[in-house]
Amino acid sequence: MSIFWISLGQGLAVAAILALSSVAFTLEYAVSRVVNLAHGEVLTIGAFAAYVCETNLHQNIYVCALVATICGALAATGLNYFLIERFRNQKSLATLIATLGASLILQNLLLIIFGGASLSYGFSQGNLLHVGPFLWTTLTIEVMVSAVVVAILIYLLLQRTRLGKALRAVSQNRELSQVSGIPARGIVMQTWAVAGAVSGFAGFLYGETVGTISPTIGNGFLLLSITAAVGGGLGRPYATLGGAVVLGLVMSIAGTYISSAYQLVVAFGFLVVMLLVKPNGIFIRGSAQTVRA
Amino acid sequence: MLQYWTAILTEAAIFAVLALGIDMIWGWAGDFDLSAYAYFALGVYMTMVMTIGKPQAPVVYILGWHLPYPVAVILAVVVVVAFAAIIGAIALRSLREVYFSITTLGAVWAIYYAVENYTPLFNGYNGVYGLVDPLGGGLSYNAYHYLFLGFCLLVLLAAYVVVQHLSTSPFGRMVRAVRDDERAASVYGRNVFWAKYRTYLFGAGLAGLAGGLFAAYIGAFSPLDWKPTEIFVLYAAILVGGRGNPKGVVLGSFIVYVGFVEMTRYIPSPAARPELGPALRQILIGLLIVLMLKYRPSGLLPEKLGDDGTIRRRSWPERLLRSSGTASNEPELLQGSSKDEVAP
Repeated sequence: MSIFWISLGQGLAVAAILALSSVAFTLEYAVSRVVNLAHGEVLTIGAFAAYVCETNLHQNIYVCALVATICGALAATGLNYFLIERFRNQKSLATLIATLGASLILQNLLLIIFGGASLSYGFSQGNLLHVGPFLWTTLTIEVMVSAVVVAILIYLLLQRTRLGKALRAVSQNRELSQVSGIPARGIVMQTWAVAGAVSGFAGFLYGETVGTISPTIGNGFLLLSITAAVGGGLGRPYATLGGAVVLGLVMSIAGTYISSAYQLVVAFGFLVVMLLVKPNGIFIRGSAQTVRA
Repeated sequence: MLQYWTAILTEAAIFAVLALGIDMIWGWAGDFDLSAYAYFALGVYMTMVMTIGKPQAPVVYILGWHLPYPVAVILAVVVVVAFAAIIGAIALRSLREVYFSITTLGAVWAIYYAVENYTPLFNGYNGVYGLVDPLGGGLSYNAYHYLFLGFCLLVLLAAYVVVQHLSTSPFGRMVRAVRDDERAASVYGRNVFWAKYRTYLFGAGLAGLAGGLFAAYIGAFSPLDWKPTEIFVLYAAILVGGRGNPKGVVLGSFIVYVGFVEMTRYIPSPAARPELGPALRQILIGLLIVLMLKYRPSGLLPEKLGDDGTIRRRSWPERLLRSSGTASNEPELLQGSSKDEVAP
């Protein structure tokens, strides 16, 4: 039984990071109706920004987190400005293919700059702690706490600010919100900045928790974020949060009882089951015959 | 120099066959499939394990037969189609556009990690090897490679003739009508899923065939040789040549393949940074995709359906593919021109 609790504890840590990443992904979808396949690269950029900040500039962990957040925001805003907005009048599939191209470009730029080898942060992992039935390190707890804090901030942003209100309006209907006097373009831009900031931060947390980063970490993480978002409800931030938590737990338990090498296989199985059983997401009521974006 | 060109043209011909298959799925049916590279890889693996005989001690893989090469390729194509039938049934049943792409993206990575980690299947990370010369070494090195290039070009020609034939046939038009307006096509009595599914299986079969050719060309195959992201080269080729137009797809494959190999030959790749050349190549592919999509999405040779008013007899590949059910009872006129009539 103890192995079960330990893996559940690890699952919660993974789920926390996954939650941030997939919420960012879902926010991008909500305002732009685009499945951003370059999302993984925004995370990677955040992770590498923190690495440069720590190794070359010798800053402390908080400055590094801040730099990762800012770089993520810049990357996502640039992506939106130079790519997504230019493909706005085309079909959603064209935009998807374009983001695929962008992902290829960004990933290989990182590969050229940093090389293909795995790099790691120098931050200490802290002490091993028993919390109830769980076994965590101080660092893991910090990661989870900060993820929860960011999730609460996103909630407050969406529900209590003018930007959040406008964001929700734009995600419902961009043209109509424009008619009502909402500067949709600016709102979309700001949403991408927020999503990018969250992604960059998530990338930093990932690097801290897993220990190593490389230019290709985005591939796996993109797939998990998509699975969490689609499983929970694409374009719905809270449903996506729920999906991420469920996926994180499913994966860590499967990792314990099957093998951690097959985590992505399990995630794909989860995605397929979700798409076949509840294609609109677990946490969304009602169902559709044919799912299209 | 001649050997160099032989190698490049052989690879380009193989990739053109693969591109023809992918273009059927994406260009005709409009399903942006990301798992086609897995079908290609499966074709390579299956051809390998059915020709190279029993595995030696540390190496493990399934089957280990010693079949003649052409038989192995045909069986490999059958296996690939059967496999694609499963993925296609999941992904095409009720999922469209972005959701379809997501499912196939998940599928290809799941397959990739499964093949890499589950050693008994295809020797995992180390891969399988040993298919050197399907002819048994009767020819000199050069003669064999010229012959193989000729064989690949012949297969490409055959694939092109069949695909081109299908493309302008009533079946080809019906699939495109389904792509352009699913609801209208189904009002006209077309089975949307069945149309997309058959196209998907045919495309996957071509991918498997390309895999069979590639197996003999490369001789050894491991997960390092087929990163799922390499499918983007083919999408770039299709975009350049002309999505939905078989002639354009073949042209695009040769342009992109030969062009990129030639161009990136001059990029310095110092020993300390071996990843530099491939990375730059990938960046160029990415740029090519984005720029083509933005400025010339229909490619050099845009899709043409031969809408010159003539009604063609059903072609033989189409009779092969045609369902025995609903569609066949209706007059040819409706079959051929449904797209024009349906368009609003």
